[in-house]
Parts: sequence; C-alpha cells; structure tokens
Amino acid sequence: MSPALLEVEGVTKRFGGLSALNELSFQVDEGQIVSIIGPNGAGKSTVFNVITGLYPPDEGDVRLRGVSVVGLAPNRITRAGIARTFQNVHLFPNMSVLENAMVGMHCRSKAGVFGSIVRTPAVKREEETVRERATESLDFFGSRLAGYRQDQPAFALSYANRRRLEMARALATQPALMLLDEPTAGMNPRETLELRDHIVRMRDELALTVLVIEHDMRVVKGVSDRVIACDYGRKIAEGTYEEVANDEQVIEAYLGRKHEELG
Amino acid sequence: MADSGSERAVDARLSGFATLPWRRIILGILGATIAFVVVVGSYRTLTLPEGERFSGDFWVDQAVNGLGQGAILALIALGYTLVYGILRMINFAHGEVFMSGAFISFFFADAYQKSGLLNSRPYVALTILLVVSILASTVVAVLLERIAYRPLRNAPRLVPLITAIGAQLFIQNAFRGFFGPQPRGYPRPQILEGGIEILGIPVAKVQLLVFVTAIVSMIALQVFVNRSRTGRSMRAVAADSEIASLMGINVDRIIVITFVVGGILAGIAGLLFSLAFTQVQFTMGFRPGIAAFTAAVLGGIGSIGGAALGGFVLGLLQAVGPPLLLTGFGVPSPFSLRDAFVFLVLILVLVFRPGGLLGSGEAEKV
Amino acid sequence: MGASARAGAIAGVVTIFLAAVGLIGNFTDLNLIGTQVTFALLMIVISPVLAGYVVTSPRVEGGERVAFTLGQAASAGVVAGALAGAIFGAFVVFVDVFGVDRIRPIFLNISPTLMDYLTQDRPAIVAAAIIVAASVAAGAAGAVYRVLPDGIRKPLGSAVWVTLLFGFLQRIVPIALDQLDIERDWLYSKVTRGLTWPGAILIALVTAGISVLKARQGETLRGAIRGRGNGERRGPLTLTPLSIVLALAGLGAVLIAPHVLGSVIAEVLGTVMVFALLGIGLNIVVGYAGLLDLGYVFFFTLGAYSLALLTGATLNTFVGSTDPAVALDLNFYVAVPVVIVIAAIAGVLIGAPVLRLRGDYLALVTLGLGEMIVVLVTSPWLGPLVGGPQGMLDITNAAIGNFGFRDPKHFYYLAFAFVVLALFVSWRLANSRIGRAWTALREDEQVADAMGVSTTSYKLLAFAMGGAIGSVGGALFAVKIGSLTPASFQVLVSIQVLGIVILGGIGSLPGVIVGSLVLVGLPGLLREFEEYRLLAYGAAVVAVMLLRPQGLIPNVRRSRELHEEDREQDKWAGDVAADEHVAQGPSPLGEGAG
Repeated sequence: MSPALLEVEGVTKRFGGLSALNELSFQVDEGQIVSIIGPNGAGKSTVFNVITGLYPPDEGDVRLRGVSVVGLAPNRITRAGIARTFQNVHLFPNMSVLENAMVGMHCRSKAGVFGSIVRTPAVKREEETVRERATESLDFFGSRLAGYRQDQPAFALSYANRRRLEMARALATQPALMLLDEPTAGMNPRETLELRDHIVRMRDELALTVLVIEHDMRVVKGVSDRVIACDYGRKIAEGTYEEVANDEQVIEAYLGRKHEELG
Repeated sequence: MADSGSERAVDARLSGFATLPWRRIILGILGATIAFVVVVGSYRTLTLPEGERFSGDFWVDQAVNGLGQGAILALIALGYTLVYGILRMINFAHGEVFMSGAFISFFFADAYQKSGLLNSRPYVALTILLVVSILASTVVAVLLERIAYRPLRNAPRLVPLITAIGAQLFIQNAFRGFFGPQPRGYPRPQILEGGIEILGIPVAKVQLLVFVTAIVSMIALQVFVNRSRTGRSMRAVAADSEIASLMGINVDRIIVITFVVGGILAGIAGLLFSLAFTQVQFTMGFRPGIAAFTAAVLGGIGSIGGAALGGFVLGLLQAVGPPLLLTGFGVPSPFSLRDAFVFLVLILVLVFRPGGLLGSGEAEKV
Repeated sequence: MGASARAGAIAGVVTIFLAAVGLIGNFTDLNLIGTQVTFALLMIVISPVLAGYVVTSPRVEGGERVAFTLGQAASAGVVAGALAGAIFGAFVVFVDVFGVDRIRPIFLNISPTLMDYLTQDRPAIVAAAIIVAASVAAGAAGAVYRVLPDGIRKPLGSAVWVTLLFGFLQRIVPIALDQLDIERDWLYSKVTRGLTWPGAILIALVTAGISVLKARQGETLRGAIRGRGNGERRGPLTLTPLSIVLALAGLGAVLIAPHVLGSVIAEVLGTVMVFALLGIGLNIVVGYAGLLDLGYVFFFTLGAYSLALLTGATLNTFVGSTDPAVALDLNFYVAVPVVIVIAAIAGVLIGAPVLRLRGDYLALVTLGLGEMIVVLVTSPWLGPLVGGPQGMLDITNAAIGNFGFRDPKHFYYLAFAFVVLALFVSWRLANSRIGRAWTALREDEQVADAMGVSTTSYKLLAFAMGGAIGSVGGALFAVKIGSLTPASFQVLVSIQVLGIVILGGIGSLPGVIVGSLVLVGLPGLLREFEEYRLLAYGAAVVAVMLLRPQGLIPNVRRSRELHEEDREQDKWAGDVAADEHVAQGPSPLGEGAG
C-alpha cells in the first residue's frame, strides 16, 4: 500500500487546561477530497494549524508522504507542498489581487538579492513565469478574478471574491495538499454551489488532494470521497458521507446543536 | 500543477545549512559569553591583589547607592508598567513626565532657598515641593494622553509609539526653549545633609528619604490598585477593555486616571532625584526613562510587583555590575560603561526572557 | 460656535507657547517681506489662521458633507481669532503689568526684546487690542480661505506659501543669483535680507498665474509627461520626449548646483545627501519590511569608525596623533565594500536574536543598541582603538588620483553618486520578488509565513541591507568631516533619520529625498533655527502621526494600510467598489468562532 499523502497520528494539543485535540488520528490518501465535519469548538481549525506548523502538537506526529513535518517552520511546510486558507479571510489587503497570488509563487521562485537588483535575463524570465502562474491560479476561478480585477487592491473585493482570492493564492504555491477552512462560510447558495464545483475541479483538473473543513452538508455531500467527523478534538466517525451521516455518535454530537445541518 | 510532494517534503529537511538552528546557536554563544564574563570577571575582580582590590566598604557603598537609584527607577518604572497594562503601549515620553516635575519644582526650591524657607521650615518647603512636582508631572502626563495618545487608540501599534517618540522630543525641547539648556543646581535642605548609620551601614540621609518615600508610595499604590473601586476598574480595563466598558466602566476616565497615577509617581521620583543628585537639566529624563523602562521589562512589564522588583534589581545591577564584572578584565573606569550595561541588560532580558523575572519565560506571540 | 471658541483658545495658548519658547522674540529681525512681515509676525498670526481653517472643515451631518457658507465661515473665523487674540493679548498685558524682569529669570525668552516688539512702543492695553484685531483678521482669513471657490483658493494659497517660501530662501536664492551675476536687489534687499515688496508681489502673481494655468491645462500636461491616457494600467515608467527633457533638466540642475550656489550651500547639501542616504537605508527597514528601528545610529557609527580604521586614520590624543590599536591603510574605494560586509555581518548577528521581538520591544532594543555603541565609542576602554571622547583624525579624503573629495563642492558629487546608487538598488528591490515578500511580511507576518515567505530570513535581509547602506552613510560622513568625534554620533541621529523617513512618507523614495531636504537642508541654511530643530521635529512627527500618517509624499500602499479603519467604515456604510455581490453579514475581516 502506498503511503498516504498526509498522516495525522495521535495528535494532542492543549491550550491551558483545555484539550483542543485529543489523540486525533487520520489519513488522507492522494487524489482524494476528505471533509472534516464536527460541531463548533471541535478543534477543526486547530488541526489545520498544527498540520501547517503554526504551533507544534504536544503529542503525536504529522507526516507528509512519510516524512514528519512537526517542528518545521510554516513556510517550510508550505514549500514542502501543503497550502491552506483561513477561516477568517486573511489577504494582504493593500496588495493587488494579482500581487496576492504572486506571493503564493514566492516559494516556487528563487530570485535573490543580486539577481533582483541587476535583473538578469534569468530573473526576468522567472518574474514572467511567476506572473503567468499566478494568473493561471486566478483564472481557475473564471471571470471572477480575471481582467481588470487583477489590479484592484484586495480590500476592494467583495466577500466571495476575497475567499476565492485566498484560494487562488494558496493554489499558486503549487501544493500537493490543499487545506480549505470553511471555504463557503458566508456565501449565498449560488456561490456555495459554484465553490463546490471548484473544489471538485481541484481534484480532477489539478490533481490536488483536498482536505476541507465544512459545515454546509450539501457541500460535504457533493465533494467528499471520505468524511471524518470530530467532536471534542477526537475522531468519532469516518467513512463515506452516508456512513458518517447515519452514525449514532455523530448524530448525538449534533443533537441539541443544529440538527437541520445533517442530510 | 502539483509537483511531486514527497520530493519537496524531503527537500525541506535536507537543506542542511539552512536547517541548522542558527538562532539557537547564536543565542547559545551569546549566553555562554555572558556567563563567562559574569563568572570569570567577578572572580578576578574579587581576587585582585591586596592593593588593587576593592574594599568591603566599597561594595556596601555601591549596593546602597544602587538600591537608592533603584528606588527612583522603580517609581518611574511603575508609570511605564501601568500605562502598558492598560494601553499595551510604551509611553516613551514618560521620562519627560519625570523631568517636568523635577524641573518645575526647581524654581520653587530655588526661591525657597533664597528666601531661607528651605532651611527654616524644611518640612513645609519639602511638602510644597512635592506637591508642585507631582502637579507638574501629572499635568504633562494628562496633556500627553489627551493630545498625542487618545486620538490614536485604534491605530496600528507602531503609530502611537512613533508619536510617543515625537512627543518625547517635543517636551524635552520645549523645556529647553522655555528655561534654557544650562543645568541648574537643586538646593538641598540642611536636614538632609550628612549621613547616619543603620545596622552599621553608612546611609546618606537623602538616600534614607528616597527609600522610605519610594516604599511608602509603592505600598500606597498597591493598596489603591487592590482595594479601591478605581483600582479594581483599572485592573478590569487592563485585563480586557471591551468587556470592562460593557460592565459600565468609563474606560476613557480610567485611562486618564492611569496616566495621573503614573504622573504622581513620576513627580515623586522627580523630587527625590533632584534632592539626591542636586541637579536638574532638560535632558535629565532620557536616560532614567530608558533605565526605568528596562527595569519594568526586567521585572515583567504589566506587573506592578515586577516594576518595583525590577527597579531595585536594576539599580543594584548597574551600581555593582560594572566594577564587579569589568575590573577583573582590566577595563579602565568601568563606571563610564554603566549606561551600556543597562542597555545590555535590556537587550538580554528581551531576547532571553521577555516576560521578565516575574513572567513565564515565554515570548509573547506577535 | 463652541468649536470655534475651543479652536481659538487653543490657538491663543499655542501662541503663548511660541513666545515662551523664543520663536517670536528671537526672530523679530528675520525679515521675510520688507520689514513688516517678519518671522515673528508670522508666528503671531499663524495659530489664529490655522484655527480658522480647522474650524471650517466640512462636517458630516446625516451622511452628507455640509460645507460652511461664506458668512458662517467668516463668523466662525472671527470668533476663533477673537478668542485667540484675547488670550494672547491678555498674556501681553499680564507680562507688562507683572514686569518682564520678574518673569525673565524663569522663562528666558519672555524678554524685553519680545515685549518691545509686541507692544511697539504703545501701552500694553492698546497693543493687546491691536493683537486681538490682527487675530480676528487672521482667523477670518483662515476660515474664509477654506470656503472660497477652488478657482480663487488654489492660486491664492499657492501664491501665499510660495512667496513665504522665497522669503525663507533668502540664504540661497540671492547667493545663487549673485554667483550667476544676475541683478537681484529688486527681489532681495541687501538691507533687510528678505524679499522686497515689489519682489514679493511679483512672485505671488507669477505663482498665482501658474496655478491658474495648471488648473486649466493640468491634465493634458501630466498626460504629456507620463505618456498614457486615462484608465491605463499602471505600468513601468514610459519615456515620452517631454519626460526625458524634464528628467535631464532636473539632473542638470542637481549637478551644477554646487557651482551655482557656492561652497557654504554645497556643504549643507552634502549633509543633506548623507542623510538622504541614511534615509534610504532606514526606509528599507521601516518602510519595506515594517520593522521599527530606533537605533540606526548604530550602523552609522559602525560605518564611520570602520572606515577610519581601515583607511589609516589616527587617534586624536593630547600629544598629537597616534595610531590606533588596529589600523590598515586601504584605499577608500576598497574599504567601502569591506565596511559594507562588516555592517551586514553585524546586522545578521544582531538581527538573529532580536528581530523576532514584537514591534515596540524591537524598537526599544534597537534604541538600546544605538545608545550602547555611542557609550562604547566614547569610553576610555575602547580609547586605544577609536580615540575615546577626542575621537580620530586624518580620515581619507577618498581621492581619485589627485582629486580629493573633502572640498564641499567635490564631496557633494561623491555623496550624490552613492545616493543614486542606493536609490537604484532600493527601487529595484522594491519592485522585485524580494519587495513583494517584504510587503507581504509587512501586511501580515503570520500569513506571509504561511504562504511560503520565510519571515525571519527576509526581516534579516532588510535589517542587514538597511544596515549596510547606513554604514556607507557613516563612511561618507567621516570623509566629509575628516575627523570623528563621538559628539556627532548621538542617538538623536537615529531619531532624525526616522523623522526624515516618516515625514517623507514611510516607504516612499522621493519622500525620503524631500524629507532630507526639509529636515536637514532648511535648518542647515537657516542657522538661527538650529536651536528649534528638535522641537520642530518632535512637533512634526506628532502632527504627521495624528493627521497624515503616510507623510508628505505618501507611498500609496502605506496610505491604504494606515487608513484601513476609515475604509472599513466606509464600506460598512455601503460604499462598496464595483462587484456583483454585497458583503454578507458583519465585517468580513472580523474574528469568528474558533
């Protein structure tokens, strides 16, 4: 069996006296879209933060293609091939749309001080490539982030476009694994469906592996190859959408919260 | 678009040069050097041959001096720590608040000396000087808050800091403009001249006054912050200003009160400094200001106990440290490096233990 | 009305402040125009004028901008001016009654000279009344100015401040004209040293004329220069014939300046160049990477002393000059790269432990470092190396062949060359992958890190580069003066360079040049202001931070950042830029649940 792309093994993370993550273990195989669901406070964003190196786990390990990434700086992990978006959009507000995407290409380019000052032909070519690839990531979202939009400062975008830009920026880092943190939060139904299709395209057209935290079950149902349900920082169910949606523990966890969220 | 992830994952680990923990290495070397200087320097200073060695009396003197200076530093440091606790900003201009009190009180002190009041009724004179110094410092502190800081409450953090720097320059040079650049001799009443012995240790009367006044002030502050309603409000605002305002606390007023308290303490410190060092000048606020800030950080910024502790510790360090550590290495006139010593302490604390002596030892996240 | 009264009261107090600090009394004979408009007079009326101007700023009532009518403005200005004048007038009367001689021992600048000027040989009460009248006029003028139609206001405003500027430039322009052998007595009087009235009127008219022309033809002119139409993408500079001509003309002016303006001015310009260089360096640290460095004097000092030691300078001792403990005798042009390397290494060694500290802590640590190096360089301990308080002598004059650069006119070119080089490097970096990384780092450090930008490396890079440039500034400074004393290397240098960067606009290169000209050049030329330089710095920094944090010439990006709050509120009020979806829910950039 080939090693999974991502392995999270026995990860525990405590903040003060509270365990946000409690011996959480799961795997993500290459080429899959896996959704993580669970009530608020279940520690889902924390998993992302640990995976991407924002802080280390207190216990456990995170492995990318078999190699542990615990302890590496976030920018290293991004360079290794894991990209993410945030629950609350964090763009670079005063940079243009295109520049935001070009920052994503930073770790895939290498122009140094000397080259940047002197502008050797190699550096100029690289800048062109960076620009092209960044534009490609933006074009992934069709006309939404194309044309004159690309020179607009990021703060001027609508909410939905901001979310898309964040994703485009993450795509520009040319990752193997995409982590999307509640990508459809705050979007209207039409935008949500559009985004759902984008996620599927990420797997199909760009050969990415995607790990999504989602609350909207229509999206979860529509994209997931597998679903992992969490509560109180531990995994309580895993399987296809149908299996998880009908799992007793999962239903119990959601009982008293928004029961309508399921199915 | 997705290249082989595994190659890159491996890549991330194996770029040898860059993955060496450079920071740890540099810090380690730094720490080792410091430890070396401290241990070897002290040893060598203390084991110098009979004629060159410092006497026991010398060290006692230095310690007493250091504690005296530390008391003054503590008073000023409290001002820094209080404002930091409430606004999370460093009131860079606090040194000038200190200077204002001292300088304005000079004019009164001068008048009293000329008229003889200083020595005929010293207690009355000193009380008036204290009140004047406190008033002047407090007025400057409140004006600072009102004009320079209040409009910038919600600005990105660098902006109020830069403003504070500008304000510091402005106040210092305004005093220069008003009163001239010459240093003025601050008169000392007769009753404060000379020394007494406490437990066999010679202490100047002035130093005794400094100690007692500083400690009484700090106790008063502690009582005020912990027992009074205003003090409770201050602690609430320091913990979380949004919730405090939801609880009905007038945050603006509390902030002004914080500056007032800081001003009062600085005013007291100003008078004590003037009596101890008998000189005031428009530049007198800058170095003590930075030293006091160092003390606040040393003890743990945001903590009242920390500021007090930090003040005394730093006072001791800067009086005893240079001769103790440097003479052993043959450094001529170690006292000329005293200021560098203080700055070094500041840098070391912030690099190795930003939470200070009373803190947790962890760096605060950006 | 309350607002007017308050503004007026503040203005009155400010004028008293100006008097107490000496900005009136010491400048009663700095003639700007004729003998009537002196700097002192300017100081007396400027506060009421500003008060009037501020009071009439358009209010926002019910979501709409409400401007003042002429009548409203006039009355508001009158009230403000009256109150300001009343307060200052009362002050004058008080001093007169109390007795100047009793105040002077305390407030040095409340002097007989001041009082003579203010009362003009009249009884104090009368003088006060005149002051009130003048303030009323000033306040009204400031207020009315605001509400004048653009067509009148702009030419009028330009005319006034340009004329005053020429009044201030009385140390440069007449000298330049003299050097070029142009008649100038009709413009600048040899007697008063300031502008003559006819000259002033001429300048005012010309400026007003240019302003009117600009309003009519401005757009087309700008287009002709920049070579693009409306709405085109902002791309790299396009070279039109007109822009090339202007650039060459500008370059020419800069190059012949020392010869036209004379040695004295060239010397000041040399200092301006050195500080501009320092500003460019600090701009990388503060403007590009967003790190507040208060200890820039560290690199300045390091550069100066390193250069001295590398090029064979000697120690200034009581017995003449001796050699330092470590001395090489390199050529200046070989030494400079070595200095740069030393500074870069120092920058990395210092930066590694220090740069991960939070903003204000970083500021204070760097301040501490700046102080430390000053103390070290003055100390007896390092005396055998760098000369202690007496410093060092015999610094190289950077000669190429027989052409030495110590002469102010020559030094100017040397410094200018380095400034151009630094500008080029800085500009290229800003518009490169590295500049992008710095901007991302500045906008949101954690997110930049998450996006693959190694924040520690880039902070270090900015710090080291800034340090390297700063050290070159120090080296140049050493060459300029020919000797080094610790007195030239105070922490104030850090603060002055910071002031230049801030005033010119954090992150803006042209702004640094302008900032340097204003903050270093003007006081350099107008020597009497030397004493007030720091006071003005402090006030300017505070004012800039309160009113316009992006400085005089804003760097567009930075502007946006610092006004983010305003923008957020605008958006919330429904003022969204073109897009098909309206923002859902409350502020999208706010924090949500965990």
